[in-house]
Amino acid sequence: MSHCRSWEHGWSRRRMLGALATGAGGIGGIGAAGASGLGGLLQPAVAEELARNDKQILLIWLDGGMSQLESWDPKPNTPFGGPFRSIPTTLPGIHVSELMPKLARQMKRLAVVRSMKTEDANHSSGVPKIMRGHPRNRGVTYPFFGSAVAKLLGPTASGLPPYVWVKPGNGGFISKHAGFLGARYGALALGDGKPPANLVRPDSISSEADRVRQELRKQFNRQFANRRRGAFNEANSYVYDVAQTLMKHVELFDEKQVKETDRQRYGTHDLGRHTLLARRLIEAGVRFVQVTSYGWDTHGDNFNSHASRMPKVDQSLSALIEDLFDRGLDERVLVVVMAEFGRTPRINGSVGRDHWPNAWSVAMTGCGIRTGTVVGETLADGTDVKSTPYDIGHLFHTWFSAVGLDSAKAQYTNGTQPLPIAHDDMHKIDELLS
Amino acid sequence: MQRSMVLLVIGLAGITLSRARAADESLHTAIDRLIDAKAGDTPKAPAADDAEFLRRVMLDLAGRIPTSAETTRFLDDKASNKRDVLIDSLLAGEDYPRRMQELFHAMLMERRGEHAEWTKFLRHAFANNLPWDQVARAMLAPDSGDENLRGAAYFLTARLTKEGAMAAVDVPGLTRDVGRLLAGVDLGCAQCHDHVSIDDYKQVDFQGLHMIFENMQSRRGGDFPAVTERVMQKDKEFQSVFTMDPRTTGLRIPGAGDVPIRTFPKGEEYSVAPDRKAKTPGVLKFSPLKELARGLAAKGNPLFARNIVNRLWFVMMGRGLVEPLDLFHSANPPTHPELLERLATEFVAHEFDIKWLLGQLARTGCYQRSSRLPGKGPLPDAKTYAVANQKRLSAEQFFWSTMIATGEIARLKQKPGVGLEQLVSETKSLAALQKQFLKTFSNPPREPEVDFAPTVKGALYLMHDEKVLELLKPRSGNLIERLATDADAKKTAEALFLAVVSRRPSDSDHEAVGRFLEKKDGAARAEAIGQLAWALLTSTEFCVNH
Repeated sequence: MSHCRSWEHGWSRRRMLGALATGAGGIGGIGAAGASGLGGLLQPAVAEELARNDKQILLIWLDGGMSQLESWDPKPNTPFGGPFRSIPTTLPGIHVSELMPKLARQMKRLAVVRSMKTEDANHSSGVPKIMRGHPRNRGVTYPFFGSAVAKLLGPTASGLPPYVWVKPGNGGFISKHAGFLGARYGALALGDGKPPANLVRPDSISSEADRVRQELRKQFNRQFANRRRGAFNEANSYVYDVAQTLMKHVELFDEKQVKETDRQRYGTHDLGRHTLLARRLIEAGVRFVQVTSYGWDTHGDNFNSHASRMPKVDQSLSALIEDLFDRGLDERVLVVVMAEFGRTPRINGSVGRDHWPNAWSVAMTGCGIRTGTVVGETLADGTDVKSTPYDIGHLFHTWFSAVGLDSAKAQYTNGTQPLPIAHDDMHKIDELLS
Repeated sequence: MQRSMVLLVIGLAGITLSRARAADESLHTAIDRLIDAKAGDTPKAPAADDAEFLRRVMLDLAGRIPTSAETTRFLDDKASNKRDVLIDSLLAGEDYPRRMQELFHAMLMERRGEHAEWTKFLRHAFANNLPWDQVARAMLAPDSGDENLRGAAYFLTARLTKEGAMAAVDVPGLTRDVGRLLAGVDLGCAQCHDHVSIDDYKQVDFQGLHMIFENMQSRRGGDFPAVTERVMQKDKEFQSVFTMDPRTTGLRIPGAGDVPIRTFPKGEEYSVAPDRKAKTPGVLKFSPLKELARGLAAKGNPLFARNIVNRLWFVMMGRGLVEPLDLFHSANPPTHPELLERLATEFVAHEFDIKWLLGQLARTGCYQRSSRLPGKGPLPDAKTYAVANQKRLSAEQFFWSTMIATGEIARLKQKPGVGLEQLVSETKSLAALQKQFLKTFSNPPREPEVDFAPTVKGALYLMHDEKVLELLKPRSGNLIERLATDADAKKTAEALFLAVVSRRPSDSDHEAVGRFLEKKDGAARAEAIGQLAWALLTSTEFCVNH
């Protein structure tokens, strides 16, 4: 594998300090650290338009590769179909696996691409390829979807960090997602949905005492910054601003604030709790939220695994869709459900399915995605794509378009090197856009 | 013949001639002459005042801020040569080896981890001011027989550990780091093909270096890190993923070029045969690691000298003459070519003496300028050095400085003969706090600590961590307790500012503190002083080296 990483292709990030003032807010390593000026990508007029952009994205990532055959694209009664039946949906003529009855009733609110054909069948290289939209290789490390959106759209008016990742296990700040954009566009990861360490003010400090000391800090900083280069002070002040913004939303992390009915609707399992938190993060104004569910790599015992896993997706995703549509959030929140690939039609000796990038499915809704759409089809036995195949680059164009970015025109700038934000040989899928 | 790094080296050799002309001029004078010449009529900041200079030079050479006593002593010193005297005493002082150990640890290991033998090696190297070429050779061709130097192998072995259950050992990453950190050339993107945007970096440069590390492995077990090498038999075969053109190379050493592989008849490869029973690796007649050490860390290798002087310049001046620090190539010229050459050649002429070079840099007017530019108008660009550049504090600098600022060291009543480090390591609560500071304020592993990168995590830590807040509550002998007992706001402000930001308060500082403390006494006063101290501690003035 090539070793090209974020900080090596660049120019000095330091050299770009001056650009900090215009930078959209990131979190974590910023200012001098983030390649803040590197992506000075948009003309002022466009930038202004984006400042009013209220689009948000929620990505549900089923790590390891959910089976398309046990979900969006079942092939019952075929050699590779497996034991599950298919059931009709609210879309006439469209069936999905019986493991997702609730989503079957929501199909009118969804769009599914059944003709995904991507390149990489390995987890370690496949995950980043899909997450980056697999652009043409220009010797730079592209950002993951969340980091790209954090850069391209910045935080919303809420001031909340633009890229939050809800995941099982540990949290922290994951800068490597940012690729060449620089550390500040990484993900604020909430391990098991828990808040960042030290988010809650200890009882030993009253809110008034905190206000007073923060005011003093700002006063000292103003004096320091007088006739000095401002970037360091801006960076140092910015992290305190973000910390305080997060604190204002501390209720997001208070499970007591969650309605019992919501908890039951989304499910008390990890995916349910995390998806519910994601909805609340979106409502609070986080630009891009990713929820990850691990353990979909079902090389063994694929069917029992999916029998226990799919109902969790069915429950939490259908609850999410209900809420977004009930609240009118579907108009400006794009939801994407995907993985790094699907699973082989062939059933292996361990009653499992292996990695299959050749023909798989991705689902999405909201933000101008044409709902009630199924794009493409696979062969009767599911072994290959029958219609026009689409790669992840096509989806990136489509999604960027849905959130108001013209991916055929907008570019990153890495030093002097212009970089398209999605694969330049691909285009958006018009069928998916209303 | 492809254009490549060998040519880059030849191109640079000519400049060394200019050295003879300026031989009589001391290096620090030459630096100022060259910097000023380039800056032209760029508006220039005045010299830093004594407090600004003292704090800066102590952070750089001692790795901590001065104590109040050190600050007042220096401010009140009337001697005209006191700055030179201070620089010399810091370079000779007990903080220096610790500071250098911390600095080079972060620079060379990029937070991959710690090893007691590695720490011992670094400490030994800087306590004895070992020449840089010797330090580098110890890392590239580790000598298990030398108890003080053997820990240097950690530079190699720490990069040969798995980073996760699924990840392979990253040998290409080691190849890349040797180029980046010791020669200033990042060949990482030239592993599979010639570099796509840097003409000087060829795949053969990567492969010819890489084969040395492919031929080597970490020794298993043992109390100290060590590596072993196999017999190298033949040239490395490789091909570009673009052209698929099959090629071969022998060893290629950045800045030194090709080293043909010398082979010996079977059974005669060793001058001292390996002994499996005694577990001794033997001595190879042709050791690629020794060839690398000899070729890279050599007086005649311009990349080697340029890399380190550029890195030390960066440490002191807050910007590299070449940036990024690991991207030396002909299309990325230094901002001050003659200066870089002068630094490199004099450094080599002074037997790679790091302490000497740091002393010269600290003596320059360029280093001793204020970071503040009075008047109006835009601030000049960082690369003019017309105004001192602000610099990131390392996690270590930040920790030691916080200990001193809050009077934690004073509270523990430092005994004579017990240094700062020993005091902290022997005080359980402080040792734990140190660990937490390092965890909170260091970059993640493998991310160079070059830029200022404050984090939300760090802000929340200073805002809310109980152990941090405890530093700002009155405890017998600490800063807050000391200040809370004095009812005079002027004296309080003076002591507070000297302790935390290493300077006397300005008139407006006095006014602000006076207003804030008005009508507060007893516990309320102690709390208010704690708030002032917290605000200063989290202020940019404290958190950066300016």
